[in-house]
Amino acid sequence: MSSNDTNVRKQKGRRAIRKKTEESKGLSITSLLDVLTIILVFLIKNVSMEAVKISELPDMKYPTTVTVETLMDNALVTPVKLYTDRVLLGLDNQLLGSPEDLIENVETRSVMLEFFQSEMSEIPEERYDEACLIVQADGDLPCAYITEIVRVGTNTGFQNIYFATLEEADWLSSYASASFE
Amino acid sequence: MAVYRPSQARQQKSQTAPQEPNLVPIMNLFVTIIPFLMLMIVISQVALVALNFSSEGGPVVAGDGTGGGGESSEQIEIHLMLKEHETGLFPGMEIREPGGSTHKLPTLSENVYDFAGLNSVLIDMKQRHADTNEIAVIVHPEVIYDTLIRTIDLCKTNGFVSVHYKNPKNVYFY
Repeated sequence: MSSNDTNVRKQKGRRAIRKKTEESKGLSITSLLDVLTIILVFLIKNVSMEAVKISELPDMKYPTTVTVETLMDNALVTPVKLYTDRVLLGLDNQLLGSPEDLIENVETRSVMLEFFQSEMSEIPEERYDEACLIVQADGDLPCAYITEIVRVGTNTGFQNIYFATLEEADWLSSYASASFE
Repeated sequence: MAVYRPSQARQQKSQTAPQEPNLVPIMNLFVTIIPFLMLMIVISQVALVALNFSSEGGPVVAGDGTGGGGESSEQIEIHLMLKEHETGLFPGMEIREPGGSTHKLPTLSENVYDFAGLNSVLIDMKQRHADTNEIAVIVHPEVIYDTLIRTIDLCKTNGFVSVHYKNPKNVYFY
């Protein structure tokens, strides 16, 4: 057998080999992209920075109410968080002290007053009406602490004070039944 | 010599198959943004109870419990108390109607107030004073915040939308 014959057979052999697996087609992700776009738009619509400012705090027991009032438009929010063991001021959660300090310690009240005054000073005069103080307090705290915050807030010029609660449409019947138990 | 023909160039362009855009970078972006937004979303929204402390007759925190620009004699007052005292204080609620009767609602047990009783009293009062929207809640310092908020809530749900928040006399110096 000549070398030419062998080359021809080899070439024939190469031609005979067929690809058993066809090239996989690219996965169409257009429909998935559509779904994701819808979800994205929905989420962006729902996420608001105001909601984050007054979101439910995990280690706080909120009072329950039927009343659900909405935060005024363009509100300039200053949150105050009253836990049973600490008081936090502002969006940065500055530690003020314990709730007892609000009553017993003049220094603590002065610090709170200065904080509220600094918050008010950052608000333009024409927008004073939009200044809001949001009190997020534990339901088991005595009202004396709340009153102090409200008193200092109103003295500083906060005209709108909101109390954060959890909505419960039928708390009256559940409260009555719980009290009889 | 090749002749340049714009029409031919346009034809060639239209004949080429449209290329599918590469969506992978956009997908990567979306897959990153969506979990981030889902973390930020607030599932259980906090409700709010608003009190307006504007000078136009809004709620006041009066130091002597009689504030509100001398309107107190015309206002329905709800006194929230927790301790018994010889001056007439008792654990419970006292609803004072201007020129009318006084309703006393003692606590049902320790720190459990008779909100059902308060609700029925408020319903009666609203029927008698249909034009009145104002009510004053005078809260003693030891009463818990939950009681105050529930009382304000009942006032608002019964049509007394303008709630004055007052407390007995306390004086502090800054």
